[in-house]
Amino acid sequence: MIGNMKTTIVLAAALVLHVCVFVAQANAADSLQAREEQAIKAAVARVAPSVVRIETVGGLERIGQLMVGAAPTTGLVVSGDGYIISSAFNFVQKPDSILVTLDGGSRRPAKLVATDHSRMLVLLKVDTDASLSVPEVVPEKEMRVGGWALAVGRTFESSQANVSVGIVSALSRIWGKAIQTDAKISPNNYGGPLVDISGRVLGVLVPMSPQGGAELAGVEWYDSGIGFAVPLESVMRSLPAMQQGRDLRAGLLGITMQGADVYGTDAVIAAARASGPAYKMGFRAGDKIIEAGGKPITRQSELKHQLGPRYANEKIRIVALRGDQRLDREVELVDKIEPYEAPFLGILPLRGESLEKSPPVVRYVYPESPAAAVDLKPGDEIRSLDGAAVDKLDTIVEKMQSLEPGQKVRLEVRRGSETLLVEPTLGRLPEALPGVLPPAHGPVEAPPEGERPQTGVVTVKIPEFENECLAYVPDNYNPRLAYGVVVWLHAPGGFKQEELIERWKPLCDENDLILVAPKSGDRARWQPTEARFVRRVLDDILKNYHVDASRVVVHGHEGGGAMAYVVGFTNRDVVRAVAAVDAPLPRVAQLPETDPVERLAFYTTLATKIDATPAIEAGIKRLREMKFPVSAHDVGDQPRYLTTEELQQLVRWFDSLDRI
Amino acid sequence: MTRLIWTFCLALVTVVTARDFAVAQSFAQVIADNQPKMVKIHGAGGVRGLEAYQSGFLISDQGHVLTVWSYVLDTDYVTVTLDDGRKFEGKLAGADPRLELAVLKIDATDLPSFDVAASVPAEAGSRVLAFSNLFGVAAGDEPASVQHGIVAVKTRLDARRGAFETPYHGPVYVLDAMTNNPGAAGGALLNQHGELLAMLGKELRSAHNNIWLNYAIPVDEMRDSVTRILAGNFRPGEDKPPAKPDEAIDLAELGLVLVPDVLERTPPYVDRVRAGSAAEIAGIKPDDLLVFVGESLVQSCKSLREELARLERDAGLKIVLMRGQELIEVEIPGAKGGEPQTP
Repeated sequence: MIGNMKTTIVLAAALVLHVCVFVAQANAADSLQAREEQAIKAAVARVAPSVVRIETVGGLERIGQLMVGAAPTTGLVVSGDGYIISSAFNFVQKPDSILVTLDGGSRRPAKLVATDHSRMLVLLKVDTDASLSVPEVVPEKEMRVGGWALAVGRTFESSQANVSVGIVSALSRIWGKAIQTDAKISPNNYGGPLVDISGRVLGVLVPMSPQGGAELAGVEWYDSGIGFAVPLESVMRSLPAMQQGRDLRAGLLGITMQGADVYGTDAVIAAARASGPAYKMGFRAGDKIIEAGGKPITRQSELKHQLGPRYANEKIRIVALRGDQRLDREVELVDKIEPYEAPFLGILPLRGESLEKSPPVVRYVYPESPAAAVDLKPGDEIRSLDGAAVDKLDTIVEKMQSLEPGQKVRLEVRRGSETLLVEPTLGRLPEALPGVLPPAHGPVEAPPEGERPQTGVVTVKIPEFENECLAYVPDNYNPRLAYGVVVWLHAPGGFKQEELIERWKPLCDENDLILVAPKSGDRARWQPTEARFVRRVLDDILKNYHVDASRVVVHGHEGGGAMAYVVGFTNRDVVRAVAAVDAPLPRVAQLPETDPVERLAFYTTLATKIDATPAIEAGIKRLREMKFPVSAHDVGDQPRYLTTEELQQLVRWFDSLDRI
Repeated sequence: MTRLIWTFCLALVTVVTARDFAVAQSFAQVIADNQPKMVKIHGAGGVRGLEAYQSGFLISDQGHVLTVWSYVLDTDYVTVTLDDGRKFEGKLAGADPRLELAVLKIDATDLPSFDVAASVPAEAGSRVLAFSNLFGVAAGDEPASVQHGIVAVKTRLDARRGAFETPYHGPVYVLDAMTNNPGAAGGALLNQHGELLAMLGKELRSAHNNIWLNYAIPVDEMRDSVTRILAGNFRPGEDKPPAKPDEAIDLAELGLVLVPDVLERTPPYVDRVRAGSAAEIAGIKPDDLLVFVGESLVQSCKSLREELARLERDAGLKIVLMRGQELIEVEIPGAKGGEPQTP
């Protein structure tokens, strides 16, 4: 009986076991969902020992609207002896001390060893006796779009990882630097790993923006389904350098490309900076790049893809065509190029239809300028520069884009029947406002027959916007002349049409200017997003009238002045000058760099007895440090708008923006 | 005896097989089975960006509805719309302000419902389905919207004190799905087998990093209150929040002088330690940086003072400090052991 019972128990146990196994198999086979859940948990458990929590002490509390530094963030162990990689975002507050909690709960102080400014990563080091768990790396060639991607952080609990599930959305994003994922990426996991379904690490999570920028760029996309991770394989490649304490920066060639459409245009060099490595290796404006890093280049975007992942001090082979000549050089990229400063010869050219297609003629010579030093005179015709023929105005403008102050040039000048050779040394753009200028053009032929665009007071309507916009085009508008454009951005409260037209009509008529006056949706203030409306209005004017691209100005008063800066900075391809009255440089504005092609000049007023004066002065200083020309005009004690004389002076400044 | 063992085995087989069927259910089946338990609630609001609706679900066949306590219910007439489009007046059966939950009663019977007595755990990585009328998309007899995701982590809403603008500081599931939207509060969070896990919370941002949170309060946390409300013997305010200690710890008393608090977030560096004080006996030295008080990270002089103000003087104090690049733990005994001394 006892024996029998034993058998029964054994049999029963076997049956239970059998059923359990059967059920487990049935579960696995029947429920893909359950298996996925198990796989997700297993993948997270595998990487978790390498995911650490980071806390900081001291530093800033908020940057703009964003609170930083208070919440724990995440890091990833990259070597057993205590190196931890994290997102630069997690240290933007510049903390005094960094504390790391390792898997298992032990806390260590950490040192910041190095920063990768190109991929927005930082390397930390903690002292450790035990070897830390280093995760397995997914080689970039094994990554597939559509594969599972789990974002792991350790921000909510120090003993537990937090997880977000998605897929790999794209590879080689942000000019070849990042993996894109639709998992939810945010400060809750920046610095943590993006892992595949087996728990191997694809990359390190960071905020990033295709437009580039600093530590905070891309944070506005948190949890949006657009997130980025820097491939861990590339991090491991730069690890030895960072372990030496070397900060890494993006590699620069020191060139500017022709045309604004990076996807649509050839990679033709518009300007090569004399201090840049491309120039030093012999590349010049006009050269067309056809190969970089062994890859054929037919569009600017392809060149950006080749340069994006490369650091300073890396070498890249560049092949370019100059006519029939083929240049094949290895260029060592640099981390920094001094801000470009536009050169100045010291002349204004005459305008007019016929002069757009023939050698430029001097309208005015700036006193004490390089041109004055070599005795150039109004009426002189410039025939060549540094040995290259100057057949039209645009040629000399483009030539000047690849030159800088301090460089000596050779000019061939035609004066009556004489030909002169002069060698001026280029100077800096003047910041003083010009005095009375001679007329910009002689008599102009009558306009061609046919349909004429609207003149006088014109209403501009952009279909998708509710904003209104007024424009004034001189009644004697003649398409044989190129007109300057002044975009007037009103102060809070808007403007009265009659007063505005009365003030600007004589100025526009005399100086070949078109006035455009958009209105903010809310009369009391401009919204930065309305810059898009202003741009559409400008595009409308550019399409319908003959506009001189070198004289498009945004002019604003108070809030409109701040808006003028925003419009100027975000429309570099069109706007050439910003004139702000009673308005500091907006603090949020990330200052753009000077550009040989997309030039910007500034005019601002200063009043002594006004709270905003230090802010305005700080703005002037920042712009000048970036090598932008800034004309500051003193309006006395109290802030106010310009008098008639001052406005005439400002308009003369507009008139001089085609200075060479 | 033998029969007993066989019976046990059979019972086991039955249980396991039933479970197996549950697992085999597809999301579609789980959703179809549970939609009839969801309700849409309309009440006060509709002005200044305050939506006049929220979500809820049935927790008894007698017409009890669990939802969040909010301004939406703060009106004379609350409409509860069932999945089949039938509309009822919802009468407030009870509410727990601490958990921000409310139970409504509608005049209907034989309704499909969730069982709040069942306890189902979930953890990071668990797949979940969230049912709610977010943004009021579902109208009339349209079923609630369903979102899928996983549990990102289980944590406490007060894991970082003062971080969230809510009276509730207990455990929550943080979700990897965009669940917490206008009108979603009061929705149900189910696991992949259709078992009730939690109730979706209101829209909240973390006060630490200002990031929107998607979270749900586990049934386990609400069960007591809900059971008492259903039984008709709930008295709000039974759990008082911990009061401030009668005798808080004070820096001067410990013998610690910190560096002047001049920055936005001045790191709590020790400037001086009074001779013979408790701090000196514990081994704290000038230039030490205090980083943890108990288990709480102190990021500034201000947060150190706040933290100390919360601690009872007799309890003693554990401090982790940083000296150079070294973390050192020191212990200061309770007030009885370290009487303040006057030099």
